[in-house]
Amino acid sequence: MSGETPGYIGFGEYSQHVPHSIPSAVKQATDRFVGTRAARVAEIDQWEELRQIGSDIRQHTLENLDRYLETLEARVTEAGGQVHWASSAEDARQAVLQIARDRQVRSVVKAKSMATEEIGLNHALEAAGIRTLETDLGEYIIQLAGMGPSHIIVPAVHLKKEEIAALFREKLGVDAPADPVELTRIARERLRHEFLTADMGISGANFLVAETGTLVMVTNEGNGRMCTTLPDLHVAVVGIDKVVPDWESLTVLLKLLSRSATGQKITTYTQFITGPRRAEGESGPKEFHLVLLDNGRSRILADPVGRQVFKCIRCGACANVCPVYKNVGGYAYGWFISGPIGAILSPQMLDTQVARELPYASTLCGACAEVCPVKIPIPTILRHLRHRMAQGDEFGSPALPAPVGAAARMTSLALSRSWIYRLGTRLLPFATALLRRDGWLKTLPYPLSRWTSVRPLPAFGARFRQWWKARVRSENG
Amino acid sequence: MPTVQLFITCLGDQFYTGTLQNMVRILERLGVEVTFPAEQTCCGQPLFNNGFDDQARPVARAWLHAFSQSSAPVVGPSGSCISMVKHHYPELFPPGSPEHHLASDLAARSFEFTEYLVRELGVTDLGACYPHRVTYHSACHYLRELGLREEARLLLNAIQGLEYIPLQEEDTCCGFGGAFSVTFPDVSRVMMENKVQNIIASGADTVVTCEPGCLMNIAGGLRKAGSNVRAAHIIDLLASTGETA
Amino acid sequence: MPNPILENIRRSLERSGQSGSIPLPTVLPARQAGEFDAETGLFMEELRKIGGAAQCLPAGGVSEALRMLVGTEAIHKAVLWRTPGLLELHIPEILEETGVTLVPAGAAPSSLAECDLGITEADFALPETGSLGLFSSPEKPRAVSLLPRIHLAIVRPQAFRPDLHQVFAEARRQPYLVLITGPSRTSDIELTLTLGVHGPQKLVAWIIEEE
Repeated sequence: MSGETPGYIGFGEYSQHVPHSIPSAVKQATDRFVGTRAARVAEIDQWEELRQIGSDIRQHTLENLDRYLETLEARVTEAGGQVHWASSAEDARQAVLQIARDRQVRSVVKAKSMATEEIGLNHALEAAGIRTLETDLGEYIIQLAGMGPSHIIVPAVHLKKEEIAALFREKLGVDAPADPVELTRIARERLRHEFLTADMGISGANFLVAETGTLVMVTNEGNGRMCTTLPDLHVAVVGIDKVVPDWESLTVLLKLLSRSATGQKITTYTQFITGPRRAEGESGPKEFHLVLLDNGRSRILADPVGRQVFKCIRCGACANVCPVYKNVGGYAYGWFISGPIGAILSPQMLDTQVARELPYASTLCGACAEVCPVKIPIPTILRHLRHRMAQGDEFGSPALPAPVGAAARMTSLALSRSWIYRLGTRLLPFATALLRRDGWLKTLPYPLSRWTSVRPLPAFGARFRQWWKARVRSENG
Repeated sequence: MPTVQLFITCLGDQFYTGTLQNMVRILERLGVEVTFPAEQTCCGQPLFNNGFDDQARPVARAWLHAFSQSSAPVVGPSGSCISMVKHHYPELFPPGSPEHHLASDLAARSFEFTEYLVRELGVTDLGACYPHRVTYHSACHYLRELGLREEARLLLNAIQGLEYIPLQEEDTCCGFGGAFSVTFPDVSRVMMENKVQNIIASGADTVVTCEPGCLMNIAGGLRKAGSNVRAAHIIDLLASTGETA
Repeated sequence: MPNPILENIRRSLERSGQSGSIPLPTVLPARQAGEFDAETGLFMEELRKIGGAAQCLPAGGVSEALRMLVGTEAIHKAVLWRTPGLLELHIPEILEETGVTLVPAGAAPSSLAECDLGITEADFALPETGSLGLFSSPEKPRAVSLLPRIHLAIVRPQAFRPDLHQVFAEARRQPYLVLITGPSRTSDIELTLTLGVHGPQKLVAWIIEEE
């Protein structure tokens, strides 16, 4: 199974050493998107109704996923496409490699696809000696830099134009000024040649329409169109959760997606691709392959709470409002997907250190759930994942260290027996008397030192119960 | 004469005796009879939020037992605690069970303090006086789970002499998050510092909130930053007659 | 042949015990068409907002407008869709007269990439977003609206649709549709908006007025 970013050190540990450039750049992006999203949402009177319909469409699809996938496969095949089913990330990589080997592919151009990042496809292609080029500008930049994405929509936002210019000078051997327009022009020229000569184009999909076997791609730059129009071979790697029942559903989901993601009414290019080109002399790929990726999705469907993560339409609105994400950036999440959606997806798909930490790396503030266009109840799912880790359930055994469970049981005991609680309440002021300074406790023993190292705790001073008792006594004479 | 049961909350109990006393005074001035079920401890939120459902249940049962001895509504100074009772207690017990029935009954008659004043009693002017520059932190569960968007502002606007200053990023989480503050102290720190910086930048001399947990966090943060800004529960301002700060 | 993924899905859905409760919802009704002048006005306003150029012209005005475009944009090579609508407007002749080299629509992409101008005829126009919808066929190559530096779309009144619903009702049976809304763009570098990334740098739409 594809795993964490190499060198990943754990959310907590990473958060102690976040390079300042990342949150400040991420915040600029998130503030911008929050503003543009709000403007687009305000234009639609029926936004809340749309969200509910979008949520119901996605929920309905997940609950009938097998039927819709069967219809999808039949329609894609009728249209002349080939469907490959990949149970695991390795199956998906092998399917793509096999197609590449059969067609003697030496170079690949890739449109932005989170599914391909999920399975580590680029690495597998490069290892097989196939030149693989990211063509989305942000992805192209971070590919040159050898880094991961810091934000779902604008993956290179943490890099300043001076850094990108230096990168282009070093890796492309061109004279690159620190100007976004010029840098974009350089990338355009470089990639144009690649688009025209590549043997295979790889993409993901935003949606797969079961009704007609249609692949929907929502983009802005034009590279998505290039990758799926110019090479003779188009391979799409798409999670099985991307299925939508019909074109009517798209009218809702497309409206929700672009407004939530970038605050656009609609993105520059929306493509609807059904199979390979139909006629000789028409432009477009001769062959179309659809690799349907499971990689744990079918397993997760068994959890009625956790599976709601697959309603996601990958807009990034949750990350844009998350105060935790904004302060740590994408790398802390240790995988291709970050922010609140990453915090509920990664733990269900991976069994690694990140899986154990992410559900707790949240204050459950609920800002994400308010903006999710398909009403994924992210805080509910976070809590549910914490529950699964604390107590286990039919999906897995408890995964927390024993002392934590013991502490929870002791806390439960103290709080459910009034006399223990009240005794503790009386003792705490005495127990901490010596540490009290001016009404505050500046230091406390572990684990409360984790609080006081950041800010002081008010001094324990419970006197209400005595006051009340005295009041009652004096009233009764 | 209406009667309410006081839910003082574990944090209120430990740290905010003065606020609880003010809550009693305000309610009595409004002609509400106040009772205090002394058996109460905590709503169990810290256990529930961290997924310890089995451990939260006995605590919830104890709470339900303490407050079901009377049919009077329950009023508490914490949005998150009331939300725990209203939204999560029924979830903890299987439908059809006696506890579920009890939880549903109590959920329907439990109110956050400002919610009780504004929505149940229909009162916004308590005759309070607090001639200061005041800004407001909108606590997460209070806002998003109880849907209390304007109640605090309505109450503040009726306070004599009070100059209201909007807070930048008013509804952004302060970084408390219960156990989060000790499991991820570095992220909690940054969020708290953001909140404190916004408060200081507002020019207010007082920041109010309706959540003891946020209050602990923000007050501590202001203190750490060496700021003189006072952090108070809204109840303390509502009880203020202008004679004391 | 049994499909393990579908089997797993069925098993999981059974296990979860809560499936099949949500029916496919009805979507909100489609927007209705407004008065034609209002629709074209809205279309042009929306297209301009996102950096495209738009104007209304009578069929007889195409010649002059095209000459002007060729001059101001320094067009040397152009390619166009082989559709009756474009031929009716004598576009190939006008271009030849202005000294523009016509690259055949069926030429290799590398030749199309050298073109300064690609001319298409919109199958659909959507006023609310200023979007154009284009099908694909041997006479209507996709690359014509993608590779050249400038994309000019001729829009006939009958292309207008009020909403995506109407577009989809017709497009669902077609093998390809692209909705184009403005010139290509990115904000990937320091959130600075840059027009003209991989797709055309300029999008021009001419709405041909009815006689």
